Parts: sequence; structure tokens; C-alpha cells
Amino acid sequence: MSEIFPKWTNRLPGLVLVGGALASTAALAGVWYYFTPKYTRVGYQPVQPVGFSHAIHVDQLGMDCRYCHNGVEKSWFSNIPAASTCMNCHNQVLAQDPKLELVRQSYFTGEPIPWVQVHKTPDYVYFNHAVHVNRGVSCVHCHGQVNKMEEVSHAKPLSMGFCLECHRNPAAYLRDPKDVYNLDWKPADPVAHEAAMLQVVHDWRVRSSENCSACHR
Amino acid sequence: MSKSIPPASPEPDLGVRYWRGLDDRSGSPEFQALVEREFPAGASELTDPASRRDFVKLMGASLALAGFGLTGCRRPEEVLQPFGRQPEGYTHGVPQYYATAMPSRTGAVPLVAKQHDGRPIKVEGNDQVPGFGGGTDLFAQASILDLYDPDRARRHTRGGNAVPVVQVQDFLSQAGREAAAKKGAGLAILTDHAASPTRERLLGLIQQRMPEAKVYAYEPVDFDIHRRAASLATGRAVGPNVRLERARAILSLDADFLGTENDGGPMTRGFARTRKVSSGHDPMSRLYVVEPLLTLTGSSADHRLRLASGQVLLLAAAIARELLPDGEVKSALAALPAPAGVDARWITECAADLSAHRGRAVVLAGIRQPLAVHLIAHALNASLDGFGKTVTLIEAPAPAVGSLADLAKGLDAGQVETLVILHGNPVLTAPADLDWARAQRKARTVVRLGFYEDETTEVCDWHLAAAHYLESWGDARASDGTVLAVQPLIAPLFGGLTEAEVLARLAGETATRPHEVIRATFFTATGGQSEDAWEKFLYLGYLADSAAKPVSDAVIDATAVSREIAVAPKPVVPGKDSLDLVFTRDAKIDDGRHVNNTWLQELPDPVTKLTWDNALLVSRRTATELGLVNSELVRLQANGREMTAPVWVVPGMADHTLAISLGYGRTKPGRGASFKGTSAGFNAYPLRMSATPSLVSGAKVTGTGETFRLAVTQSHWAMAGRPIVREANLEQFKAKPDFARNFDLDAHVGHIPHDANGRPKRVYQHAWEERPDELKSDIHQWGMVVDLGGCTGCGACVMACQAENNIPVVGKDQVLRGREMHWLRIDRYFTGMAEGVRNPLVADENQWKEDWIDDPQVVNQPMMCQHCENAPCESVCPVNATVHDAEGLNLMAYNRCIGTRYCANNCAWKVRRFNFFDYNKRPIDYAHIKDGMRGNLYKGPLAKRDAADQELVRMAKNPDVSVRMRGVMEKCTFCTQRIEGAKIAQKVKAGASGDVQVRDGAVKTACQQACPAEAIVFGNLLDPGSRVSQLKKQSRNYEVLGFLDNRARVTYLARIRNPNPKMPDFREFPLSIEDYQRLYHSNPFGAHGAGHAAGDGHAAPAGAAAKGGH
Repeated sequence: MSEIFPKWTNRLPGLVLVGGALASTAALAGVWYYFTPKYTRVGYQPVQPVGFSHAIHVDQLGMDCRYCHNGVEKSWFSNIPAASTCMNCHNQVLAQDPKLELVRQSYFTGEPIPWVQVHKTPDYVYFNHAVHVNRGVSCVHCHGQVNKMEEVSHAKPLSMGFCLECHRNPAAYLRDPKDVYNLDWKPADPVAHEAAMLQVVHDWRVRSSENCSACHR
Repeated sequence: MSKSIPPASPEPDLGVRYWRGLDDRSGSPEFQALVEREFPAGASELTDPASRRDFVKLMGASLALAGFGLTGCRRPEEVLQPFGRQPEGYTHGVPQYYATAMPSRTGAVPLVAKQHDGRPIKVEGNDQVPGFGGGTDLFAQASILDLYDPDRARRHTRGGNAVPVVQVQDFLSQAGREAAAKKGAGLAILTDHAASPTRERLLGLIQQRMPEAKVYAYEPVDFDIHRRAASLATGRAVGPNVRLERARAILSLDADFLGTENDGGPMTRGFARTRKVSSGHDPMSRLYVVEPLLTLTGSSADHRLRLASGQVLLLAAAIARELLPDGEVKSALAALPAPAGVDARWITECAADLSAHRGRAVVLAGIRQPLAVHLIAHALNASLDGFGKTVTLIEAPAPAVGSLADLAKGLDAGQVETLVILHGNPVLTAPADLDWARAQRKARTVVRLGFYEDETTEVCDWHLAAAHYLESWGDARASDGTVLAVQPLIAPLFGGLTEAEVLARLAGETATRPHEVIRATFFTATGGQSEDAWEKFLYLGYLADSAAKPVSDAVIDATAVSREIAVAPKPVVPGKDSLDLVFTRDAKIDDGRHVNNTWLQELPDPVTKLTWDNALLVSRRTATELGLVNSELVRLQANGREMTAPVWVVPGMADHTLAISLGYGRTKPGRGASFKGTSAGFNAYPLRMSATPSLVSGAKVTGTGETFRLAVTQSHWAMAGRPIVREANLEQFKAKPDFARNFDLDAHVGHIPHDANGRPKRVYQHAWEERPDELKSDIHQWGMVVDLGGCTGCGACVMACQAENNIPVVGKDQVLRGREMHWLRIDRYFTGMAEGVRNPLVADENQWKEDWIDDPQVVNQPMMCQHCENAPCESVCPVNATVHDAEGLNLMAYNRCIGTRYCANNCAWKVRRFNFFDYNKRPIDYAHIKDGMRGNLYKGPLAKRDAADQELVRMAKNPDVSVRMRGVMEKCTFCTQRIEGAKIAQKVKAGASGDVQVRDGAVKTACQQACPAEAIVFGNLLDPGSRVSQLKKQSRNYEVLGFLDNRARVTYLARIRNPNPKMPDFREFPLSIEDYQRLYHSNPFGAHGAGHAAGDGHAAPAGAAAKGGH
């Protein structure tokens, strides 16, 4: 019989046990790290059909976010501007630039420019831009410093945990509504700012909901 | 699988009290099973061991096939496509609202339609239109689905082949020119009934330019009789406009004004306003109903007399003899005999009551009654001083049109070359004796504008696809004559044509675009060219001050009335071998026009609770005498023709009367109303003749012994044996305003421990009470009140909920399994006079055959998630998928739900619904699948729904609400999307301030907004001024199953009945209270404990003490 099962097979169950434990730990760790929004989303930077630079338009030229994203204060959705918005300036500025060919085409034919979506919440999440920007939450918290980006990339995970972080402690993230679109603004003294904002939370009756109904309907 | 029954709750399951259907009464095992379990047999378990094993195998295989690639981890790349040029005033994501109207036969429902990114998805009543307080009927709510119906006519055809729209337009213009050249000789236009100024103008133009052209109108359900009767009765061109809110005594002569009559919405609102009393001293109306079938109106009656259809004339005459002054009419009435089998006191006392309410009384006659009944009603209204008060006569010129019979004659005589049919479906709906399909073929060219390619299409040369009203420019006149705008929210999806364009081309107009045509009518009517006036008309949806002029000096033309009484058909008393057959407008599919609307098909009929079919309705006695049982297929012979239909016993039907609704059993149904080519329901049109459109005498019925399975929801989700619906007569309400809190264990709060504040101590300590600052919002706490006094059970709320919340249709097969998905249902309860019952505690097999069920009282109760503060569903959910939010909503997080269904099992109100299948993705089985066969749903991914169809149906979905997938539980959310929307709007407005509380009225649930009776009120309980807070303070307010200490946020206002003590059928208490007193030995109107029999447990019913009492 010993011919069939050599001596080393005695150790086999132990090896299988240890190996299994190691493999499953590795798998768990792998999923834990690689499958989270922090890994899968942050840094996502698709190539856009038109090389639009936020850095030039916002940082250098000082345009306001709302010149293009004019729906942000009214709608749940922050719109991508129509080609006609671009053409307000670009019928004069760089009017013949080949890089803007697609924009001109869209403007004259009505054919939309296929911008690749970067930030997206799942269908069962009903995020609303209007209520956040009107109540002192800046773009920068979720989108990062877009004003410094040549090409837009996904800066924050936008996972449920990410949302809840702020909803659980809104004071740390609120600011004066006039600074909402100033993506460079930083509190001089974060601790003092948070303390001041606690009063604002009280005065504005901020009840950043942690209930499912806040986002899921 | 065995099932352990939990210990009984305080109330045992008792015999009499409310019952929901005849199965319930007979205590059949099937019904018992439905009561005991959350889901009917087979619904909640996978019992077949083989299929379970197969399932595991398949799952394993598919996992292996899917492999371990991580391709699915990244989201698919999606593109955002902005406009080339930004349209003005459009913000993506913000819905837009437009005023429009849904045309009906004699009026229109003024609407505000909601458009989301170009798709109309919901309509609401336009409460700005004077005389309409908002609210809609169920047809308006369901009309959204018609727009996206995959089976609607999607092409224009000539000889069955598709033709482009330009060819159709050329043809129409050409036909117009040719007809004009011949002065219209040979041109005939057949229309349905509609009140449209543009139609009148264009038909007038055609008749003016082509004097030889003929116009005809036909409607199988003819509401024009009201205008004809009023005109005949007064000798003036007038129509009636009934103002029920002014009435205090109402007599309905077979007039189902709350249900199948025209203008159901405004009538319901007017009536409900007189029924929602806040104290016993408020004025309240009293409703007398005489009718052959049980209708919604009869369900709301204080005194109801079931009487064969023909006898209604005699009863009307008898009442008129009491009330009319001596004269020509009275002497004409003398010739009519007294109605058979009616207590004379019923007539005299009813007449006396009407007379006592002079100026506030109204008599209404229904469309199924002959003209003589209508004329008597007008004579009565005149003599009761109702003209100008409860009935306003308004100018209504008679349309210069011929009848369908005239047209048939013309066709037979070969006088019609070109026949243009606008809407309607005459091949299906024409009286059988006209043999319409044959007559229609006699025309050389038949052109037809229709919404479906249906029966009539087959006999047409040209079929033009009609545009939906939400795709059309048009106009309409409301019932009071106010001109309403019909404006499109979307371009015709399939290039459909509007009636305005078709008529304009025929008339030879140069401006034929519908927009121009409607504008032309508007400017003609207003006598100007003011662009501002036009814009305002579209903005408001109505033309101010355009209501028809009231005619105040009309008097009854006694000669005309007497003449009509003299020629009235002689009523025949129906008997066992010579039955009356009554044809009715279907409460859901109308005359057949909505047959393909699956929302309406699945809506339980308000009275019978039938879905997906019609049936031959009979009374208990008739069924017993003829030896018929429920659901038995019978052969019905009438007018020399024959049809087959299943019988369904309805309590409250007149004996020897059969009733069947029209429009089912189609030869060319859409997919929504058929299964493998077999249409839903049974076609009654072939039995209907010109002379007898509503009533046929001498019908015969023979049983076949075969059974047809009808999907009736009346026994689904039952709550047996508890005082769920509470009611009182007005006198008792006066004496004891808080009677509603004196039922059941609610009456015993004195005996249970109280807390320091003197409130009953909670059975469970709620987490809220431990940490209120953290868990309870101090800004909003939502609640709802449903006024059972106002609710008539019409079903508009159910349709509104379905449209708002993306509720799927499940099909007849699934309904039979008890899986309908409606979040909001209307429970219809019957109560009977139970002194004839031998043993009220035993529901024996034969009870449904006993006569005490014949004259039931009916109560309707909308039932939805009660949003308990202490929700039993939440405590049993293993995954926290159903949880409470800070504002008092019981939430469903669909993504967490794993489908254990524990929550549904633990819900005492049975309001939770489970998605057994992907109803949105799979083809639905619209018919019953025979045992042993598997429907499409069971094939899973192998049965695919047509992708293009699905795309179309998807457009009707509300983007603010998740579409649920298979395997998750769902239920009423209090329209959380609307609440969040209102809160966000208020916060955006508040900005950097604390003004975040939503104003009262800024958020309305879908059911509330649709309710024509204004019986549902929703709002913030923390706002003491809100309507809901006010209503909750009313003494009628009570909680259903309050003894469970669940603290439901939905409460009900008890119903008050207003019977006349002098009537022979007067009972001191509502029948449900009689039962309550008999069974519980307790009187909710006495002081606590009064009437408790010695030795009984408190309020424990006799015989129940042995089972444990409470």
C-alpha cells in the first residue's frame, strides 16, 4: 500500500489547509483592494474627443464653473455645455483652430460631441447637484481640483462611504456659498473653520441625511 | 412544506362582519389559504425538487462559463451628448410641465402633463381651471401607457401596405378637392363623439363648401342622451351641468355618476365634498340609488334599491306622481303602473325627503335608461327648484349629424363613394343588426383615422395612424363649456396624424398644419389676432370666461315630456326564463378602446375586482335558480343571438338581471389583451341591436358545466375578522363623535399601563425614543390621512401610483397566483343583514347561497404601506433592507434586499409586494396558463421581450424611481422621490438660511394628486397648520389594527352614512356595526363597557373567549 501513497502525502492535508488559507487570504485582500471604487475609479482619465483644458479656461482665464455648467444650480444634473456655449467665444477666439473642428461641426450640424463620461453614480443613486452647491458644498469635494486638470480625471472614489463621510460630519466640508465655485479656496485654519461651520449647520438647519431615502428611491 | 401558524392575534377570525367575496363567505379552503399565508399556494416556495437541482446545475455551469476574467470590473464607457445648440429654457434633468387636456366624449379632463427630457411620463389634473379642483379619472392616468403602446398603429396603410405620410396627405387634399368639385356628393364623414371647437368649425366648413357632404356620428356608449333629454324637456338647445356639491338629497335613477357615466372626476369631487363631514352638524348629502346592477354609485348610497332595469321607469314615475303638480305630465304618468315588488313607503319617503330639500335636491337618470326616465328626472328637477341650483342648464346646440343607421342606409343605397371614419371602431361596436362590416364595404373608398389597426381597419382602404392626444394639437370643451387647450408634449412617435389636419385637408384649407388649424379656431372664437391671448391660452390650458352661457329661463315642455312618457317601452318584469340583459360601459376599458392598456386590464374592476376579463354578472338568487356556480361558462341567448361567457355572482344585483360589459373578446386585440391570439374576455357586441342598445329582455342562460378561470383579486391580501373599516350613521356620529376610537382594543386603553405623560405606554421601546436628537427629524415627519367618507373606490389612485412608481404589469396568470404588484390597492368590503344567519360564528359552505347577502352595504378602503413607526417588517429583515428614516418613512433599499420575504410575512396589512420575475424584462403572460404548462416568465432569459417594444415601453418610466428587478421586495414609499424633490427645491430656495421646511401642499403623493374625491391628504405632521395635522385631530381619525402598537403614519377617517330614519329599509346602525355589536357584545357608541355581557372577556366575541380572547 505504501507504494501508492508515498510518505510525503502524510503532510498533504496540512499543506492543503495552509495553502488554502493563504490563497483565500490573498484573494480576499485582492478583492478588498482592487475591487473598490478607490482603485477602480480614482485616476480614471479617458481621452476626450476634444482636448478641452480646464486648466486653461478656469485657472488661466478665470472662468466660472457655471458659465458652462449652468444647470448645476437648478438640476440634479450638472450639464456638459452645448457646442453653442463654446462658440460664444470660439467664433472669435481660435475660430479656425483645427482642434476645435468637432465643436464647430457640432454647432453647425447639431451632431453632439461624444464626451466620455468620467463621473458617474450608479442608476440607483439619485445624487443632486443643485442642493449641494446651493447649500455650501463645493465642487472640489467630489471632483477634485478640476481647475488644475489638463484632461479631467476621476479624483475621488465617489463610493457610498465617501458620501457618508461628509454626510456624517457636514461641518468639516461646508463653506461660505460665495466660495463654492472657488476650487482653490482652503480654510486658513481648518479647526477653527469647522467650529464656525458647526454654527452654520445649526443656523441653516443642515440635516445631511444618513438615511437610505436620501439617495435611493 | 408545512407551515407553522403563529399564535392568534387578539381578534379571532370570525364569521359575519365584513366579507370580501363569496369565497370568503363560504370559508373555502382556497380562501383560507389566502388569508393565512402572505402569498397564495405555490407562490412562495420552490417545491419541485427536480427544478431546484436543475437550477443549481445551471448556476454552476454559468459561473464556469463566465470565467474568472475581470472584464466586468470596469464600468462600460458611456458618452454624454450635449446639444449642438442649447434650446432656450431647457435644463437637463428638470422636468417641464404643460397644460393640456384629455378629450372625452362630452368634455375633457383638464391636465398638466409632466415631461422629462422630452418624454411625457405623468399627467395630473389641472387645478387652475375654474370648476375643476384638480384630480383625474383613471383613464387619464392610464393614457400615458397608450402613448407608448407597442401595438398602436405605427404606420399609415393603403390596402394593407405601408405608405409614407406625404402620400396620405396628398391623397386627403386630393379627396377634398374632388369632393368640393362635386359639392360633396358621395362624401360621408363618420365621427365619434367629442366636444371640440375645431372639429365643429371644420365640419361646418365642409358642410358649407360641400353642401351635399354628409356628417354622421356614432358612439356605442352614448352620453349625448343627457343633452338630448335636456333639450327635449325644455324645448331649448341646452345641456345639463350637474353641481353635486350643492345637493343635499340625490336620487340616482340607474345613473352611475361616480363610475361609468361621463365626467366621473368632477362629479365625484362634488359628491365627496358633501360627504366628508368633520362634525355631526356639518351639512351632509343623502344619496338614494335605484339600479339593476351594483355600481360604484350604489356602493356609496345611503339607500339603495335594486330593481330590474325596466322597472326604473315605473319607480321614477311613482316618485314623480308624488312630487309633480297636477297637470299634463302627471296625467301622462298615471297610465304607468307601480313598480313591481317595491315597498310603497320607499317611494313616498324618498319623495318626501327630496321635497324637503327643495333647491338642494337633484334627480339623475343614467345612460342605460330610456329618454322617458331622463325627462321625468328633468321634470322632477324643475319642480324641486333644482334648475339653476343643482342642475345648471347651459347652451348646447344640437350637432347637425346623422345617425349610424342613416349612414348604413346611405351605404346600402350606394350614395356613399368616400367614407371617412374619424376614430371609433364601428365594425366592432356598431349594433349587430346593421351588419356594419358589410355596409362599410359598399363605399368605394373607406378612409379611417384610428389609433389601432383593429377590426375596422380590415375593411378600410386607407388606414391613417392617429396621433395620441399628448402628440396632438387640439382643443376641447369641458362639461361646463370652458374651452381647453390640447397641446402636444412630444412629436408624434410614429408620424401619426391629428384629426385637425385630416379635416382641414378634406375641407380644402390652405393652412393644414394642426398648430395653424387650432390657432385659426382660437382666433375665430376670440375674435382677434392677439398673440398674447393665444400664449395665455396655452399657458393656462383654458380660455378664461369661455364657459357656456347658463340658460336661466328654461321651463319644462310638458307636452314633450308627456309624449315621451306615452311612447316609452313597456317594461317587462324579468323572470327566470326571460332574463334582462344589460350592456354596460366597462369601468376600465370603456367601450373597448382601452383594451390593450395593460395597466387598466390589470386594475381590479372597482365593483367585481375582476382583472383581465369581463364576465356575465348575476345575482345570487338568479344563479341559484338557474343552477349556476361562479366561473361557470354559460351559453347566453338574447336577441336571437348567442354567446358564451363565465358567470360571476355579485351581491346587490337585481334578480333575473344579467350584466355584461362591452369591449372585450376582440377579434383583433393587441398583444396586451390576448394570449397566443386568443383575446381576453367575451364580446357582447354581437348581441346588441339598434333598438335595444342598453337592455335586452327575454335573455336565456344555460350552463355548460365548464369552468373558466377568472382572475379576481377580491380575496387576495385579506385581513379577516377585524374592525378594519369603521363607520357610523350620522346620528350616532353626532351623539358620539369619537366613536371610531371606541372599537376593538382601542376602547380599552384605560386598562393598559400609561407612561408619565398619561399616554398609553408603548409595548415596544422604539429606538427613536431613546435617541430622538439623532434619529428623529425635527423638520419633517410625514403622515397621511385617508377619508373613507370621501373615497368612492374609483381606482384613479391605483393608476396614478402605477404610473408614478414604475409598477410592472404581471399578467393574468400571475394575478391568479396572487402576485399583482400594485402598491396601493382598494379593498372592497361587503356587509350583509345578518339576522338570517343561523350561526354567525361559522362560515359554512352554504352561506353564500342565503338571501341575507342580497342587499349588501359596501365600503371601499384604499390600503397601502402604513409606514408604521414601529414597523414589524423592519425587525425581521435579516439584511436591513427595510429600515426607518428620520422623517418617519419606512424605506426599502432594493439593493440590500435578498428576497427572504420575511417582511411580507410579518406585515399585518399585507401591503408588501415581491418581484417573482423580471416583469419589466420578460414577456408577460397575459392569459391564464393551463396547469402543467409553463408561461413565458418561467423560461427566464430564454423568453425575450422584443427589444424595440421594450425600448418603447421603457419611455413611460419615471426616471426618478428605480425599476426593480426580480427577487426584491417593494411597497408604497409615500412617493419618496416627490418628498425628496420638494425638500431639495425648498433647500435650493433657502440657500444660506434655515428656511428648509417644505410648505404644506408643496409635496403631494401621486394617489393624493389623482384622487378626484380629495380623500387622500399627505403632509408634514410637525407643521400644526398642515391639512394632514388638522385632519388627524378629527374625531373620526383611527388607525387600522392600532392595537398592534405599530403607530401607523397612515390613518383613516371613519365613514359616516346618512340614512333616512323614515325609509322602510332604515337600520339604526350600519350593518358592520350590527355585526360588531352582535359578535363583540360591545357598542362603540356607548360608554366603555356598556353592553359587555357578564362573564365575557372585554370585547371578546362570544365564543372567542374559549380560543383565548385577548
